[in-house]
Amino acid sequence: MVQSVKPTANTWCPGCGDFGVLAAAKKAIIDLKIPTHEVVLVGGIGCSGGIHNFIDINGVHALHGRLLAQAIGLKLANPQLTVIAAGGDGDGYAIGMGHFMHAFKKNASILYIVMNNETYGLTKGQASPTSRLGFEGNIEIPFDSILTALSIPSGAFIARTFSGDPKTMTAVLSEALQFNREHRGYAFVEDLSPCVTYNDTFKEWREKTVNIEKLPGYDPTDRSAVFRLCSETMNTGKIPIGVMHRPGKPADAASNPLELKLLPDSVGPARADIVLEHNLAAYQKLLATAA
Amino acid sequence: MTTPATQTPSQAIEASPAQRRTPKELADVSVIVGGQGGDGTLTVVDLLGRYFRKRGLYVYTSRNTLSRIRGGHADASVRACRDPRAAIKAKADLLLAFDQEAIEVVRADLDPDALVLYDSTAFKADYPNSLGFPFATLAGSQLGQPIYKNTAAYGAIAVLMGFDDAVVRQVIEERFKRRGAEALDKNLKALEIGRQAALAVPAAVNRWSLPEGDAHTLILTTGNQAAALGFVVGGGRFFAGYPITPATEIMEYLARYLPAYHGVVRQAEDELASINMVIGAATTGARAMTSTSGPGLSLMTEGIGHAGTAELGILVADCQRVGPSTGQPTRHEQSDLAHLAHLGHGEFPKFILSPGSAEDCFYLTVDALNLAEKWRLPVILLLDQALCQNASTVPAFDLSKVKVERPSLLTAEQVATRAEYKYYAFSPNGISPFAPVGTPGVTSQITGNEHDEWGHVSVNPVNRHKMMEKRMGKLIQARDELPRPRYFGRKEARIGLIGYGSTSGPILEAMDLLDAEGITTKYLQARTLFPVQQETLGPFFDSVDLAFVAEHNYTGQFARLIREDMPQYHAKLRSILKYDGFSFRAPDIAAPIREAFHGAKR
Repeated sequence: MVQSVKPTANTWCPGCGDFGVLAAAKKAIIDLKIPTHEVVLVGGIGCSGGIHNFIDINGVHALHGRLLAQAIGLKLANPQLTVIAAGGDGDGYAIGMGHFMHAFKKNASILYIVMNNETYGLTKGQASPTSRLGFEGNIEIPFDSILTALSIPSGAFIARTFSGDPKTMTAVLSEALQFNREHRGYAFVEDLSPCVTYNDTFKEWREKTVNIEKLPGYDPTDRSAVFRLCSETMNTGKIPIGVMHRPGKPADAASNPLELKLLPDSVGPARADIVLEHNLAAYQKLLATAA
Repeated sequence: MTTPATQTPSQAIEASPAQRRTPKELADVSVIVGGQGGDGTLTVVDLLGRYFRKRGLYVYTSRNTLSRIRGGHADASVRACRDPRAAIKAKADLLLAFDQEAIEVVRADLDPDALVLYDSTAFKADYPNSLGFPFATLAGSQLGQPIYKNTAAYGAIAVLMGFDDAVVRQVIEERFKRRGAEALDKNLKALEIGRQAALAVPAAVNRWSLPEGDAHTLILTTGNQAAALGFVVGGGRFFAGYPITPATEIMEYLARYLPAYHGVVRQAEDELASINMVIGAATTGARAMTSTSGPGLSLMTEGIGHAGTAELGILVADCQRVGPSTGQPTRHEQSDLAHLAHLGHGEFPKFILSPGSAEDCFYLTVDALNLAEKWRLPVILLLDQALCQNASTVPAFDLSKVKVERPSLLTAEQVATRAEYKYYAFSPNGISPFAPVGTPGVTSQITGNEHDEWGHVSVNPVNRHKMMEKRMGKLIQARDELPRPRYFGRKEARIGLIGYGSTSGPILEAMDLLDAEGITTKYLQARTLFPVQQETLGPFFDSVDLAFVAEHNYTGQFARLIREDMPQYHAKLRSILKYDGFSFRAPDIAAPIREAFHGAKR
């Protein structure tokens, strides 16, 4: 057995919500028996983005806001990898917002976990895109990722979890990873992950979260019904959590995830044979046509 | 004036007093085609270029288009020559004009003996030596679509220049066969319409004759196409980019080529996504590239720095255009070099390679891929608009000269024999063996944070110092492997020229002009611009009294880089600069050298 990199000691504040995500992700990977060399975790910038250091798989620390682009590049270059992108709400919904929207459109089979704590913790508590009105002087409308995700007509798996409920979170992450590994498309999970130092919302969120799956009329294949349930729940001051969209099996090739559309045989750029001598005949033909 | 559609061709001709003469032989001819965007000027130039190539002549085409789909003045030119020329001819011999504006725009670029051939459908040319044919009217009345005026005009030019009929037709067949039977048939008819119209006018028949050339084995290609082909044979399999002039064709060619080789081409939502998708792909061991131009390069800068410190080999083709900001998107400049040489925040190693011809684009792209992977750093392929988009005749690409080398790459079998694997292991030459993510038996941590050998974040000052030396040391360690210059001219010459990219064409032509006047020169075509290649530039400076660096920017960016690293040659350095959006013509380069030469004699 080759000795390669080992996880480092954790650097998060004791009690940080991100511990819940780390534990749930570890358990999901073990439960699904994914070999460690086949899974890669792409972390963003911010406290939560350091998660790749604390788990015994491949880790990539991306640039601020660009973790989705790197994760999709990884997946399209080697579709056999299980690719998880994980970062915070500032990383995903502020500097990375363009990629957040386009990830649904691209529909590559990767899992994106946003640890939402409604603040920029690492830079000591400024308002983030999800901060409520008044938090650190915030006068901008808080962004809601679930309503946005539901409004995009994609085949993505969409869920919101809460770090105070690790059991549900593990189940959701397992389901999302399994969804990816079956090449069924993109999975987006927002985890409500309190910052115990600058915005400790554990108690408040425990009281305010409502499992949408238990509400009358819930149907995870009906995005407009779930959108309405979420919207109505939010109007009462509560926060909806649970599986928001669970698409059925893709009905046609058009809804296939990106990696299968591009690489029907699943070989891909990383495993392509680029030895010149093995490609000579094809290259000669290409050069002849091009001239 | 508008010619009624019912007129017959012979009635419709308006010939200004251009009397019949014996064909004048031209060994070097330049044709400009000008009109409004959408008039099909590029098509005529493409057809002429194909014809000239088949006649064994060296061909060089250029374009002057606006950044819009239709409308606005657009012109393009094609030069055919018995000698190898990769530059626009100083003065054109023939202008095909679809409107008066075309004549006004290029008037100063026309030879005093030049002829203006024009479409008299909508205007009468205000030019002393002109010949009008109502190409649009003729095409409209006989084919139902006036747009075939461009192919008809090609037919008229064929008569003017005494082209070989069979080859003229063959060119149309090659160009339009892919568009289907109807398009081919109509273009063949349009060709005949143009030919018959010209044949009816004695002044239009065999005005010129072109000698047969001896360069029949050459191919006609652009730098963008050559770079795309080089990427494929060099093992490139992943491309992400965002449409931007003049880089877009690289993406378009690769979208056609790569799927057959398990490759992926993605058009991303912006350049931030492009560069980061490329970085992600490189993490898996795929050879990956993006192509862009100034504005996109600015957005990619953070990503390129990340690749430098995370030690991921990537390739970025920068197809330079006029900057800053949106600048002049379709115009030529070489003004990104200073930015690239000092790229990004912080310090990281990168190589900047610059091909000097479309041919060089092919081979240097392969070299760039090998170097990026071996040295695990970003390599910039520095191109420019003229190199990217102007077509020229070059020797057919030779696969026996291509090598795909992967000395840093560890296979699963090689990894399995090791006791440990560190992604950022220290080594004498700074290269850590590369086991891509996905290699069985190992995992890695890859980061833009400063890190130790394992990839763990580190703020240890001793480690930071060592890591900086490891990465930056690659700039010294790799020196012997970086592409060498090409040398031209007379060894004993005391006047030197230094250039890169598309300036090679006009420089070589200027040297011939000067040589004819008894001014001998030699030329160093730099192919590695960064790190500044002191070991090749030094001896060159030592061998001359004066060295002129010709480049397309205001501040003399390459000359400044040389001064920065080699201040001892400051007194010998001169700059020849052009920053009006157009490429050098040979006289632009010859003039200041001539002046210096005679000045020195006085």
